[in-house]
Amino acid sequence: MRPIIGITTYVMPASWGVWRDLPTALVPQDYAAAVTLAGGRAVLLPPDDLDTDVLRVLDGLLFSGGPDISPELYGEQPGPHTVTHPERDAAELALLQAALDRDLPVLGVCRGMQLLVAAHGGTLHQHLPEVLGHERHRVAPAVYSEHEAVFTPGSRIAGLMGEDVTINCFHHQGVADPGKLTVTGRAEDGLPEAVEDPDRRFLLGVQWHPEVSRDLRLFGALVAAAARS
Amino acid sequence: MRRPLIGLTSYAQHVLFGRNEMMAGMLPMTYVKAVHATGGRAVLITPDDPGTDVLESLDGIVFTGGGDVDPANYGAEPHPETEVDPVRDAAEIMLMRAALEMDLPVLGVCRGHQVMAVATGGSLHQHLPDLINHDRHRAHAGTDPLAAGADDYGRHGVVTAEGSRARQLFGRQTTVNSFHHQAVADPGECVATGWCPDDRVVEILEHPGRTFALGVQWHPERTADLRVFAALNQAALVGREAATV
Repeated sequence: MRPIIGITTYVMPASWGVWRDLPTALVPQDYAAAVTLAGGRAVLLPPDDLDTDVLRVLDGLLFSGGPDISPELYGEQPGPHTVTHPERDAAELALLQAALDRDLPVLGVCRGMQLLVAAHGGTLHQHLPEVLGHERHRVAPAVYSEHEAVFTPGSRIAGLMGEDVTINCFHHQGVADPGKLTVTGRAEDGLPEAVEDPDRRFLLGVQWHPEVSRDLRLFGALVAAAARS
Repeated sequence: MRRPLIGLTSYAQHVLFGRNEMMAGMLPMTYVKAVHATGGRAVLITPDDPGTDVLESLDGIVFTGGGDVDPANYGAEPHPETEVDPVRDAAEIMLMRAALEMDLPVLGVCRGHQVMAVATGGSLHQHLPDLINHDRHRAHAGTDPLAAGADDYGRHGVVTAEGSRARQLFGRQTTVNSFHHQAVADPGECVATGWCPDDRVVEILEHPGRTFALGVQWHPERTADLRVFAALNQAALVGREAATV
């Protein structure tokens, strides 16, 4: 049996076919396709904060991208550019905490990485252009910007990425303080792009979007770690 | 008490939301809420995957609504009004056969009800107006007949067969919403246990050899009548407890 990887989803009013603005649980198909290609079985997790019982059938968890997390989670008030979805925060934090308790393999992508940071006592920059003075991490709507990352030698992410350190970014918030996690990758401007907890079996967050290229290096590592759980 | 884990088949669909446009794995939240409101925990089963091993982790499964089943699956040529998604068909027909084989509790909704028939050797009417000379099982294109406040267009009665599970669940007669243009012609291994009294369109299917395998042609998830979801959760709970004894 293939390892089962749970992928968190958004709830958005969506339109397709004859349907207009129906509240829908959705996530870019790229995530499920990347998990499938890497040999895992993807299931999508609609937000639900009643309990985290679903973890009993999951071998790994993927926290997907999406809107900003609530700044209250790291002790700040929302800034003017911050767009949140508190229901999703609550459901994902409960899942993450229970997953950490079980040392379940976890990959966080973009928003998912930021959630990992907040759950480990870290903080975020709420709008990067105000901090960095440039918009190179989100150049235009629906456009990924390429960066050359620098990874810490000996880290998990350095081992996974190897020679090709090109990453594709689309985000307007970023990690300010990683809390108890270790920053193991940065963009040219110094912004954290990867965080991990070296003491855990597999806990990795990346600020970029490896699902778009179905990056087997990262999804393969998640599935392999999940196969051992 | 631990909630039964219910898989819901989902779509890979090009969707618009906010300013975004993308190919998404997705499902209307009405299905999720129907499962959660009746005591289950919903996970969405992505459609692009050919394996059925995920069923071993589930306590029950819902085959959800959507587009038409490719008539090639029951040996017919496509009608001009038929719109198909072969990837979803392949995944769901395989999942349906495997779920029935292992006697996992199954609920089919609209398209899912039709998949129950096709996956067990049955066939569909591809366009109801050709058969019954009216299109009252489907509202006008571009409208949402299932939305709260929608009028009675597409709403109709269903009568149930004596001695069936449908009779236990709904009594002799119930009123349902309706949004489909295809319908079951040959139920395959399933048995029709509910019909629209006006035109004899098959509205409920049951698989007689299974603990719980029920299909409904309407959309209970869009109503306050969640009896079929409650029945699925109950069967899923009983099945899991039996498996862990």
